[in-house]
Amino acid sequence: MLKITDLSARVAGKDILKGVNLEVRAGEVHAIMGPNGSGKSTLAQVLAGREDYEVTGGTATFDGRDLLALPPEERARAGLFLGFQYPVEIPGVNNVYLLKAALNAKRKAAGEPEVDAYEFLTLIRQKMKFMQMSESFLTRGVNEGFSGGEKKRNEVLQMLILEPKLAILDETDSGLDIDALKVVSAGVNTLRDPKRAIVLVTHYQRLLDYIVPDQVHVLSGGRIMKSGDSSLAQELERRGYDWVTESQVA
Amino acid sequence: MSGALQSPAALPMSAALRSFAAQWQARSPDSLSAVREQAMQRFLELGLPTMRDETWRYTNLRTLAAQSFVDAPRQTRGGIESDPAPSLLGDSGGAAPLFMINGYPSLPAAGGAIEGMEIHSLRELARVDPHTLLRFLEPLSDADQKRWGLLNTALFVDGLYLKITGRVPLPLVIQHVATGDGADNIAYPRIIIEAAPGSSATIVEHHVAQGEYTPLSNSNTQIALRRDARLEHYRVYATDTGATHIDSLDIRQDQGSQCKQFTIVLGGGLVRTALEARLGEPGASLDSYSLLVGHEARHVDCVNIVTHAAPETRSTQTARAIASDASRVIFNSKVIVDAGAVHSQSQQSCRGLLLSPTAEIDTRPQLEIHADEVKCAHGATTGRLDPDMLFYMLSRGLDRDTAQSLLVYAFLADVLTGMSVASARAAIESALISQLPDSQTLRKFR
Repeated sequence: MLKITDLSARVAGKDILKGVNLEVRAGEVHAIMGPNGSGKSTLAQVLAGREDYEVTGGTATFDGRDLLALPPEERARAGLFLGFQYPVEIPGVNNVYLLKAALNAKRKAAGEPEVDAYEFLTLIRQKMKFMQMSESFLTRGVNEGFSGGEKKRNEVLQMLILEPKLAILDETDSGLDIDALKVVSAGVNTLRDPKRAIVLVTHYQRLLDYIVPDQVHVLSGGRIMKSGDSSLAQELERRGYDWVTESQVA
Repeated sequence: MSGALQSPAALPMSAALRSFAAQWQARSPDSLSAVREQAMQRFLELGLPTMRDETWRYTNLRTLAAQSFVDAPRQTRGGIESDPAPSLLGDSGGAAPLFMINGYPSLPAAGGAIEGMEIHSLRELARVDPHTLLRFLEPLSDADQKRWGLLNTALFVDGLYLKITGRVPLPLVIQHVATGDGADNIAYPRIIIEAAPGSSATIVEHHVAQGEYTPLSNSNTQIALRRDARLEHYRVYATDTGATHIDSLDIRQDQGSQCKQFTIVLGGGLVRTALEARLGEPGASLDSYSLLVGHEARHVDCVNIVTHAAPETRSTQTARAIASDASRVIFNSKVIVDAGAVHSQSQQSCRGLLLSPTAEIDTRPQLEIHADEVKCAHGATTGRLDPDMLFYMLSRGLDRDTAQSLLVYAFLADVLTGMSVASARAAIESALISQLPDSQTLRKFR
């Protein structure tokens, strides 16, 4: 589904990704871990199409299409979803408007009619209940005045409504207390499906107790240094990232 | 008219000044002639404002000065198309709109009335009760921003005097229709609103144009709020790109009175709006909102001067300016706190949004404080759309145009949410949206 080959990228004149190779197949959940500054978030943003991040080499394909040639909105309509590490607040643009516009953009790209207003409201209420979100969400601006935890729940809510083929969740677990972590994880788990794939970018092993990945990768210094199954996450928790980065140097 | 005007010795008169003088000569005398003559004389001595004048530094009137003007034709309601422009309040059940066509009200000579308000024609008032009118015409001012007001005082032929006597339950719309028979037409709409103690009303002035030629409009509105009166006033410009508006609004507030004022520029080619407010007694409060949309080659110059002349007065100014294409928008605001106006509070917030590299926004919030123990804040920022917000919306699959339009719309929310008249707000939103990219999608969000 997603195939990344020798991907390099630069942010504000600084090389951050230095040849990333990764393949994610339908039905799989991958976790990308690594120390701060290793390039995890940059990878997520580059895949979503952030324009001020310059791709300097390599390729990325999504269902066989050249992902890097598509503008961000087309990547989204093709089924890619980025859950942001720091979701932006957009006062004045209503949460529901944004979600409806997003869903309709996707449906339009798929040649489907626009969603019925009543059906949409029913859908959103059902998903909000699942994510244990308050009714006030419906009338508020996008992420406006939300706590860190509410913002992350909102990211997962959007994902549940849009049902992407490939979800890239950038530190969706950071800043969550244990109850919120359970809700968010349950949300992600409902999306596990043989036709979908999920990439979890995380700093901590904690999330992986709730969402068990098929593969774990360690990103460090802009490259994937080590890959393994879910036991790798536990080993990292015990031994720290130095274990991987130093063993590579040695 | 009576006395021959002396032309100023030093400067040769521009074509525009000569044509204004000629209009003056052709006016019939009335009970206001003495003050009108003084006004005309002062105007001719001062001449048209130039960019050297403090409040005119961003707007060049050279092209206008080289033109000659004649009075726009007198038209009655029957002389224009039955529905010259959709009323701003639609079918919301408001009072029937009052029409002012090229400055002439469509009103029976005896005037009219709606619940809580008397409506008089200025021409009639000048005949039967000149003293009431003269209270508003004098004293004349020499200030830069009031020169066009002098010209209006000299040359207005008719207009409206609205006397608010009680609680007016429904918003009143004044539909200013500009319709000319040549490119050289000028109109002098004049409106005087006086709100009696404890009265309240909402008045919307909506400027529209009809027909091939849109006269230059030199409009002037005066508002006097007596003790504890409340007024919500709108002036909305929705004319075509060929229109030039020079509008002066003067607000005087007595003790405890409250005014909410909206200046909404959605149309016109050159639009210059001046607001001058004087909070003359304790407890007077003014909230001014400006929503200035620059589009195509439009030039919008908005000047606000608010004077706190008494203790415990309060003012806020909220301006949102958007400039796209090759337009230019200026918001020039000044708060003056007189000596003795202790415990006054003022706040100026101006934000500009540039949507094209060839557009320009100038903001100039100023404060002049002569009293102690006052609370005055001002802030001005101008920028482009936030790239993080834009990326977030694109990453959810929204079209770029839709995302940009939603962000622009959100930017204006602070002004729109201040409007109490839901129908006016809806109409203004709708007119606004039609000037944004991807308006079709955006309409679905309302």
